Amino acid sequence: MNIELKLQALVDGELDAREVREVEALLARDEFASLLVQELKWTKSAVRHSEAGVALPETREFFWSKVERGIAAEARNQAAPAASVAPAWWTKLLFPASGLAAMVAVLFVMSGPRSSSDDALNENVAEDINAYSFHSEAEKMSVVYVSDENADFSPVGQEVKNETEAEK
Amino acid sequence: MAKPLDHKTATDVELVAASQAGDMVAFEELVARHRDKIYARAFSMMRNEEEAIDLAQEAWVKAWQRLKQFQGDSSFATWMTRIVINLCLDQLRRQKRTRAESIEQLDEELGGVERQMPVVASNPTEGLERAELRKRIDKAMVQLSYEHRTVLILHEFEEMEYKQIAKVMNCSIGTVMSRLFYARRRLASLLQSLKKEQQS
Repeated sequence: MNIELKLQALVDGELDAREVREVEALLARDEFASLLVQELKWTKSAVRHSEAGVALPETREFFWSKVERGIAAEARNQAAPAASVAPAWWTKLLFPASGLAAMVAVLFVMSGPRSSSDDALNENVAEDINAYSFHSEAEKMSVVYVSDENADFSPVGQEVKNETEAEK
Repeated sequence: MAKPLDHKTATDVELVAASQAGDMVAFEELVARHRDKIYARAFSMMRNEEEAIDLAQEAWVKAWQRLKQFQGDSSFATWMTRIVINLCLDQLRRQKRTRAESIEQLDEELGGVERQMPVVASNPTEGLERAELRKRIDKAMVQLSYEHRTVLILHEFEEMEYKQIAKVMNCSIGTVMSRLFYARRRLASLLQSLKKEQQS
């Protein structure tokens, strides 16, 4: 600690007995140190006695209403994250359920080839009667082909809005 | 059956206990009793009325939230003052980060400037009325950086020891001593200039 800070520590009563004796011995022989201590004491005393009695420039009621609103807002802020942090019981099932759904989707894709274009579905209704149906969701249309003895397919029914001719 | 608390005549200790149990009326009474002191401390540190009001308000909100942590080791007023001082320091640190440092401030941080100042040989506040003394100190304090002003406020107004100030300001005791020394020397010099201005 340099000597100036020791002089200040003396003014503030922050030195132990041995240090006080040392600094006082210095003050007895060093005029600059004495003047500096005097200046530090004046400033310390002036500041200590100058604390202004500043009053809050708002009425009791108005200030309290702001504090009260602040308390209420903080309570809401603390309650909101707490609610979102605690998950609903069903959210715990989301991970296993989504995993299961993914597995089902993969198995479905791997289970066999499907010929399709657009969202149309071609289906061989029954191979032994040589009938063939065509259904398109996009076109809202179903067509059934039946083969003759020459195995020539021709449409025998056509309907819109997913109704087959046979159902009519 | 327990006697109902008369908030107007109750002691701070009784009001704190009631507030800790959720009595908002008791807390309102504490706010009414200490609001000026808390605002004054915020104002002395911030030197800005609006900021001081906002920080005083924030301090009371924080106090309500932390009331259960108050064990009564110090007085309620001291505990509240610590809260507002910490809020002011946080705010001043944020402001400092966004503000360019002046060359003088850098000098202050590095130290040494105070040693070049001549010693003030006559008391610059001698014979001043209290109101005038306050006015001059106030004028001089504005010209100090927040670190120097804060260290003075904590030491002279809050009567904290060096180690307590170091803890509050999150710095070493050596830094506290240097800042306090610089702040006092600069203040003495500013007060002397104000005295000369007044005389001329």
